[in-house]
Formats: sequence, C-alpha cells, structure tokens
Amino acid sequence: MRRDSWIAPYFKIYTGRFVLYLILGVLTLLAASMLMFTSGFLISKSATLPYNILLVYVPIVGVRTFGIGRSVIHYVERLVGHDTVLRILSKMRVRLYRMLEPQALLIRSRYRTGDILGALADDIEQLQNVYIRTVFPSLVAIVLYGAAIALLGLFDLPFALLMAAYIFILVAVLPYISLKLTRSLDKAVKEERNGLYSKLTDAVMGIGDWVISGRPADFLSEYEQDEAAVTRKERKLKAWGRARALIGQMVIGLAVISMIYWTGGEVAAGELDRVMIAAFVLVVFPLSDAFLPVSEAVQRLPEYQMSLARLERISGSSPDGAASEGEAASIPAGISEEEIRSASQSARLRLTEVRFAYDAGMELEGDGAYSVDGVSLDISQGKRVMIIGRSGAGKSTLLKLIQGALAPSGGEVTINGIPAAAYGDAGMPKVISVLNQSPHLFDTTVANNIRLGRNDAEMAEITHAAEQAQLAELIAGLPQGLDTPMRETGQRFSGGERQRVALARVLLQNTPVLVLDEPTVGLDPRTERELLSTIFEATAGKTLVWVTHHLAFAEQMDEVIFMEHGKILMRGTHTQLMAREPRYRNLYHLDRPLD
Amino acid sequence: MGRGLMKYKGIIPVMGILAGLTLIQTIAILMQAKWLAEVISALFAGGKLQEQAGGVGLFLLAFGLRQCSGLLMQRTAARFAERTGLSLRKQMLSRLFELGPRYAGKEGTGNLVTLVLEGVTKFRTYLELFLPRMLATGITPALVWIYVFMLNKNSAVILLLTFPIIIVFMILIGMTAQRHTLRQLKTYKQLSNHFVDSLRGLETLKFLGRSKQHILSIEKVSDSYRSATMKTLRVAFLSSFALDFFTMLSVASVAVSLGLPLIEGDIELLPALTVLILAPEFFLPVRMVGADYHATLDGKEAGESMEKIISAAEEEAAKTAPIPGNVSWTWTEQSTLQLRGVGVQYEQEGRASLDAVDLTLKGLTKVGIIGESGAGKSTLADVLGGFLRPTAGSIELNGSPLGDLSAAPWREQITYIPQKPYIFSGSLADNIRFNKPAASLDDVRRAAEAAGLGGLVSGLPNGLDEMIGGGGRPLSGGQEQRVALARALLSDRPIIVLDEPTAHLDIETEYELKETMLPLFEGKLVIMATHRLHWMKNMDVIVVMDQGQIVEIGTHEELILARGAYYALASWQKEDGR
Repeated sequence: MRRDSWIAPYFKIYTGRFVLYLILGVLTLLAASMLMFTSGFLISKSATLPYNILLVYVPIVGVRTFGIGRSVIHYVERLVGHDTVLRILSKMRVRLYRMLEPQALLIRSRYRTGDILGALADDIEQLQNVYIRTVFPSLVAIVLYGAAIALLGLFDLPFALLMAAYIFILVAVLPYISLKLTRSLDKAVKEERNGLYSKLTDAVMGIGDWVISGRPADFLSEYEQDEAAVTRKERKLKAWGRARALIGQMVIGLAVISMIYWTGGEVAAGELDRVMIAAFVLVVFPLSDAFLPVSEAVQRLPEYQMSLARLERISGSSPDGAASEGEAASIPAGISEEEIRSASQSARLRLTEVRFAYDAGMELEGDGAYSVDGVSLDISQGKRVMIIGRSGAGKSTLLKLIQGALAPSGGEVTINGIPAAAYGDAGMPKVISVLNQSPHLFDTTVANNIRLGRNDAEMAEITHAAEQAQLAELIAGLPQGLDTPMRETGQRFSGGERQRVALARVLLQNTPVLVLDEPTVGLDPRTERELLSTIFEATAGKTLVWVTHHLAFAEQMDEVIFMEHGKILMRGTHTQLMAREPRYRNLYHLDRPLD
Repeated sequence: MGRGLMKYKGIIPVMGILAGLTLIQTIAILMQAKWLAEVISALFAGGKLQEQAGGVGLFLLAFGLRQCSGLLMQRTAARFAERTGLSLRKQMLSRLFELGPRYAGKEGTGNLVTLVLEGVTKFRTYLELFLPRMLATGITPALVWIYVFMLNKNSAVILLLTFPIIIVFMILIGMTAQRHTLRQLKTYKQLSNHFVDSLRGLETLKFLGRSKQHILSIEKVSDSYRSATMKTLRVAFLSSFALDFFTMLSVASVAVSLGLPLIEGDIELLPALTVLILAPEFFLPVRMVGADYHATLDGKEAGESMEKIISAAEEEAAKTAPIPGNVSWTWTEQSTLQLRGVGVQYEQEGRASLDAVDLTLKGLTKVGIIGESGAGKSTLADVLGGFLRPTAGSIELNGSPLGDLSAAPWREQITYIPQKPYIFSGSLADNIRFNKPAASLDDVRRAAEAAGLGGLVSGLPNGLDEMIGGGGRPLSGGQEQRVALARALLSDRPIIVLDEPTAHLDIETEYELKETMLPLFEGKLVIMATHRLHWMKNMDVIVVMDQGQIVEIGTHEELILARGAYYALASWQKEDGR
C-alpha cells in the first residue's frame, strides 16, 4: 500500500468541495488585497482633484465591496473547509473500522502496547489537519503566487521575475530550510516527550512505592533534568520559528522597497499612471499574508508521518496478511443456513488432538512452543466444563480455537461435525456467546446494550433477559429504568452490575453454548458468588465452557479440566479429582480453609 | 482574565520590559507608515526616484525595528513562560507526591500525567501569547489613534466608533456560541466518543455477531456528529466574522472618508496615505487576541487545574498535626501502636469508611484484617501505612501522641505490597533495590532468591539486568508480587503492609506465593488486609471488619469458637457446594 493512501483518495472523492474551498480561500486573500489596492488607488485618484466625483465612484464601491466581501467569503470558506474535513473524517473512520473488524478477536493480544485503539482514533483526528493546516494554505499560496506573478508579468517581465524570486523564498526556500532544520529536532522532542509521558505515568502509578521509599525528591530531580533537556530543544525550535518569521518579514520589506522603485521608475518613464504607486505598494502587505504561513504548514509534515505510520502498520497486518497467521475469519463459509440453524438449537463441540502454535514472529505466550498441545474434548449439549490453570497455560488460546477465531495447526475442532472455523462471523454468534472479563458496555441506554444480543428483540424479551440476569431491582432504582444511559464504559455501574448487564445481553442472544472467560476477575468474593449463581441458574440446559482461576463452584461442574503448558494435566469430575489427585485436593482446601 | 497573573515570580520586570518593547514597536509602526507614505506621495508629486533613498532607508529601518522588537517581545515572553511553567510543574509534582496514592487514584493517573505534560505546555502558550497581546491591545491602538487624530479627525472618529462595536459584537457572539455549545455538549460528547467506543467494543460486537452491521451505525453517527459540529461552528465562526467584518468595513470607510475631502482639496495625500496605512494597524492587536482566544483560554484553565492541586496539598499540609520531638519511631519487639476512635469520612454527609476504630498493635506480630469488600480493610491498612489521614480519633506510637502516621520516619519503617505492585520500567535489579538504591548486586541476588525469583532470574537472558515493566519483559501477576517481596526483603524494614496481595492470582500461584511469603514474615510486624480466608490461619491476630467498624478481634480458633462475624464469613464462603 502506498504511504499517502490515507490522504490522497479523498481529494478524488470530494473534488468539488475541495475546489470550492480552494476558490474561496483564494478569493478571501484576493479580496483583502484588493481592498488595499483600491483604497490606495482611491485616495491617489482623489488627490489628483478630479472634476467629476463619478471618477472615484467605482473605486469607492470597490473598496466597500472588497471590505465586506473578504469577511463574508472567509466565513463561508471556513465552513466549507470544516464540512469537507468532517466528511472525510467520517469516511476514514469507517475505513479504519473495516480494517480492524476482521481481526477483532486478536487485537488485544496482537498489539500489546497500551490503548492502541484510542491512539488510532486520535491518529485519524490528527489527519484532518493535513487538509486544513497544510495542504490548503500551501495550495492557496501557490495559486496566488502564480496569479500575482502572471499579472505583474503583463507589465514588466524582469520585475515580475524579481518578485517571483522574493516570493519563492517565502513559499519554497524558507519552508525547505525550516523542514530540514526542524525535522530531526521535532522528532527528538516528540520522542523525548513520549519518554517523559511514560516515565511520569510510571511514577504516578507507583506513587505509593515512591512515597514509602522516601525518595520522591530523587525522582523529581531526575525528571526535571529530562524536562530541561526537552525544553532546551523546544527553545531552539521556537528561536528558529521567530528567526524564520523575521527573515520572512524582511523579505517582504525588500519586496515593498523594490515595488516602490519599480513603480517610481515606471511612472517616471511614463509607463504607469502615478495614481497606481500607492495601489501597487500597499497591495504587497495583504498579499504576503498568503505566503508567510507556508513554512509552518510544511513544518507540520513530520507530525502526520507518525500517525500515518501507525495506520499503515495496522493496515499492513489486516485481512490478507492475517490469513497466513492461521486466522480463520476470511475462510469462505462452506456451511449451509440449515446447518447453522441446527447448531443454534443444539451443538456438540469436539476437539480431537488439537494443537496450536503462534507464529515464531508473534510475541505471544509460548516461545515457539505449542500454546495448545494435543487437547481432546467432547462437549455434548448441556455439559458444564470448567477449565483451570495458571496464566499462560493455554486456556485463552483454547477458547479462541473453540470460537473458530484461530484455526488449529493440528487436529480438529468441530461443532456438530463441521469445522468451527467454517461457521464464520455470521454463524458463530448464533452458536456460541461469550462473557469475558471486561465485556464492553456501549455509551447508550441499558436497554440498547441488552438489545445488542438480538436486534429484533421485543421490549418484553429485553425485560425478561434483565430479570433472568437479576437486574430487576437495580433497574427499578434507575431514574429512567431500562432507558437510563450507561455513561461511558458503564461507569455508572459497579463491576458486578456491569457483568449482569452483559449477561442479560448474552441471554438474549440465546445460543446453545456460553463461553465464560474469567468473568469474575476483580470482583469481591460475595459478588463473584452471587453472579456465578445467577449465571448457572439462568443458563440451565446450555453448554458452559468456563475458564477460571480458582476452584469455587467446581462441585457443580460436569468436568473439571486442569491445564498446564498447553496440555491437559488432570481431568474428571470434582469428586473424582478429589479422590485421585493430591495436588487438586491441596488447592481445593486452600480455597476452603475451614472444611 | 489574567488577574491571577501578578502572583507569578518576576512578572513585574517582565511586564516592564514588554511594555517598553511594545512602546518601541508602536513608534516603529508609526514611523514605518509615515516614511512609506512620504516616499509614495513624493513620487506621486513627481519627485525623483534617486531622492527617495533617505526615506526608503528610514522606512526600512522602522520596518526592521518593528519586527525586531516583536521578536524580542516574543522571546521575553517565551522565557518567562518557560520559567513560570517550570516552577509551577515542580511545585505541582512535589505536592502530588505529598498527596500520595489515594489522591492520584481519585484524580486518575491519565488525567494527572496529561495535566503535567500537556497542561504545562498549554499554560506556557497562554503566558507567551497573553502577556504581549494584553500590552499590545492596551498600548498600540491608543498611540496609533492619537497619531491618526492629529492627522485627520474624521478617520480617527470612525476608528474610535468601530472599536467598541467590535468588542461588543465579539462578546455577544462569543456568549451565544458558548450557550449553544453548552446546550449541545452532551450529545456532542456522546457523538464524538462513539467511534472510540465502537473500536473498544469491537471484540464484544464480534461475539454478538454485530460487528459488520455496526459500520452503518458509525456512518450514521459520524454524519450526525458532522451536522452537530457544523451547527456549532456556524455560530462560533460568527465571532471572528464580526471582527473581520467591522475591521474591513472600518478600513473601507476610512478610505472613502479620506477620498472625498481629497477631491475637495481639503487635505493632502501624505496624511491621507499615512492614515490609510495605519488603519489596519489600529485593529491588529484586537484581531490577534481574537485569533488566540481559545489557546489562551485552554492554557488559563490548565493553570487553574494545577493551582487546584497545589492548594489541595497545602490544605492537607495545614491539617498535619505537629509531631512531638521525642517520638521513638523505630518499630521493635517492644513497640506499641494504639488507635483510639479513629475514623475516616470522605464526604461530609456520606457514610464513614472507617468508624471509631480502636486497635492496639504490639511488637512483631502478624495481623490479618478481614471483611467483605467495602468493610474498610483497605482504608485501615492505608491509615496504618500512613497514606491516609484519619478525620477523627487519636493515634499513639510508643506512648507519643500523633495526629496521623504520614510522617516520613514512620513510612521508613514500612514496606507496602499492594494487590498489583507497580513494576517500574527499569532493570529487574533496579526494581528490587528500589527502596535501597545503594544495595550491592549480591544483596539484590540474595533477596531475589529468597523471594522465589531465582528460577526467573536464571532463565532471563540478561539475568538481573533484564529490563522489565513498561516496554520491557512482561511479568506474570505472581512474579510481580515476588518482585515486591524481594523489594521488601532488601529494604529490611520492620513493618510489612499488604493489601489483597493474592486475590487476583490463580490458585496455584497463590499457593506457591504463600509458601514463599510465610517464612519471610517472621520477625516483622505484618499487617495484611485480604478477603482470602486461608491466610487467617497463619495470623497471630485477626481483625474482622464490617461497615467501617471492627466487629471482632482474636485468633482463628477463638473466632471460630465464638461463632460470630468471622464464622459467618467463613460459612458463606463454603456455601457454593450446594
């Protein structure tokens, strides 16, 4: 993919709007220039004491028109510009979403670093500036440049070339030098500021440790040293900015003087009416407003590159690249509607000798070893299976294999005899639903969040699902009942309540199989127990595949599977394992010290 | 705006310099106009081009002087802004450390970090822009006006009339725009967050089989967002439109008003031209203020947020009880710590997090604090660890009365192990010797071994020098706890405070960690807040909490026999076996 593919295509889509924006931009500056031009002309003409006032009538109208015109056009120009950019933003968002959607289940493990999704959304916002702050000011400057020189060339070609040289300094030489000088400094500042960011985040997250250690002063002095280094660089950048402005202004000063000498000469030679001197000289100032911002516009280029690079990295690893990593999402669904419908009533999960290894290049769990290694399971409809093991034992990978998000490197994962991966994006959510550690609650009402489980659900069904999730009491206490907004990421609700809303959603989805991926992590024991009781009650008859990290409720499971290093270490019912496995017995007693 | 500025150190000389430079700049502006007009009108009158060298030279001089004084103003303001920003950040950071983890948790790490890094930058921009703009608005239009008045009274009247109109319109439109924005703020926020919300919820949408249809929703919401934004912008841009409109209209009126008397022969070209050149200069400072309005507002707000933290810390500091001089801080076998009627209440009306707690801790014992979540376990641990100042009651250490335990010598007695100990980005060794940076590598190694990190260290390519934490090798929850444990061992402090150290770990890891921890607890005062009952058998004293109060104190055996709150806790944890 080409580097600029995030920027260029939108010129094509919105050519009309862009052209309009450009024309308005040029007209704005033209009106401002013409205001000074006609003003200069007007008073010079007046000073010739014309007999007829009508002679200055046209310039008087012109002055007023240009004065009002400039502000009106500028206002419209800004609106057109923002409207266009917001349209592009909307298109870019859809595009980014489309790119991320196929890899949805793997994003979390693939891009470990922080809040990559938030960063990508910011990147797209940042790209708006490419148009408004860089491309357009530069284009307007170039158009005016051409127009001004062409007009001047009609009078006197050599002088037009001299002026062209002056403006060339403003629109090309200074921006070029500016970019050269600041690029590395800019980059260093950005990197060092990122460093400061993580350093400070580090310190604030560990603030308790700093306080206890009695060494905050050490941290502060070290931090201030780093800040000082960045400040020095920023100071240099600013100093250059000021110097550049001064150079630019002095070039304009020279242009004004050249204009004085040229018009003076032309008038003396009888080539130009003397009333034009003031007009020509005064127009230089407003016209130069078009050229001065180019340096800054160009200096912004490196800013966009970082955002572009991140977006490119994501698009580089999307659809086509992903298939080679054993991702099943793009496999064409070789499955009929009928088979999906039947699996949505009753599903039998079978895993036979399943192996899976993440590619050596991927920095996930094992170092090239199998994350899941020879696992066989047979889960008939309605069976309740608990999977336990420490982190990195392969539990999450196993779940992804069952959901068909990953295709096994060896062995087979089938649902009703058909490979899990074949169910695809459309079929799988009808067969398996998932409740994980942090189900996302959207910034909309409680009812809308639950309705996501099934779009065409009646209000009564939503209420019923909420009741099953034992939300009735909570909802009765909300100001607008089910229509109460969740607020961003459901901050209005406690951890247990959030899980219940997500549970209601999953219940509405009504699939034969429910995968529970440590849904109670971070909840206190009472909330955990209450939530699990609700889940078990509400899902009678459904298959449960439950990944957990301790042994509460093990007695209620039909099979307990203990995983280690991708293999099944022990399996059986709770009673069998208690009788047979001393290791299991130990752990069970640890959880229940009073037995 | 800017009334609070005067408190910043060194602002008066800076303002003096800036005012002087503004004055010079204004004079240069006047001279520049004067000489330019003179040269043009001389040429207009048929003067020889060669004779204009003097005038042109003076124009260029004035022009250069104007630009240079502008540069110096920016530079002065930038340097001042840099100094002030630096001292504000320093103050704020050190205050932040005084306020400690409770405050940081409440305000949110992300918010605080953003405030320190971006807030200071914004605040600097504010000072940098605001000071020169303020002076320029105060000085330049006045002088320009007087000069114009001397040359041509009519034009001066036009300028004078336009000025208040511009200000009034800007304020009126600004206020309308703000009202408009405020009214829309909620929908606006929701719309603008929708996309990030969608991306974060992508996995969930996929599970629900709705990720594909959601594209339509993104399109729709982006579109509503656009129309909402455009509605606001239409009003918001009006303000600068008004500024533009009246300025341009005023300049045009001046030009026209000069033209007519010229025709009549009432005035000369030279003053008319000078006035025409000066008319835009009259409005320039106000226009700059308008253009920078949002940047200055942002910066001002950032400055205020930082001041708020500083004053919060000052308030806290003012509450600190005086510390008697002869306290023996060191915790030994004979030490006692007595809490009497200690309470913590965050809000005036709200429920107390800790309510009239009486507790005596003696010597090197192991104290377990147990209770349901919200019972006040962590609050009590934080009070004992000195992170939290009680709002009621008294504390006595070895017979000396103290207002709270936040004094540095007490903190030096303690190591603290939270549920998720923070791993700093740095080497494993540096993380372990965090409390004792001077510790030798051998000591670090011994501590690592004792904390059960021996296997990990020998498995790492760089051993103890392996980088961990953000950007380094990720550690599992159990390993993080072991690093914290090694840190505690190395610093060899007599008190260990633990807050839910194992609740998030899988049961096997928890079990192994417990095996490592128990022997290391010998010879220390251990204070452990947890809801994991199995630890209690290993504690010398169990403090059972409920709703902010201590409901029972005793050993495991005593409390089981008592069949009280502890027994109840233990029984319902068993219940799931039904």
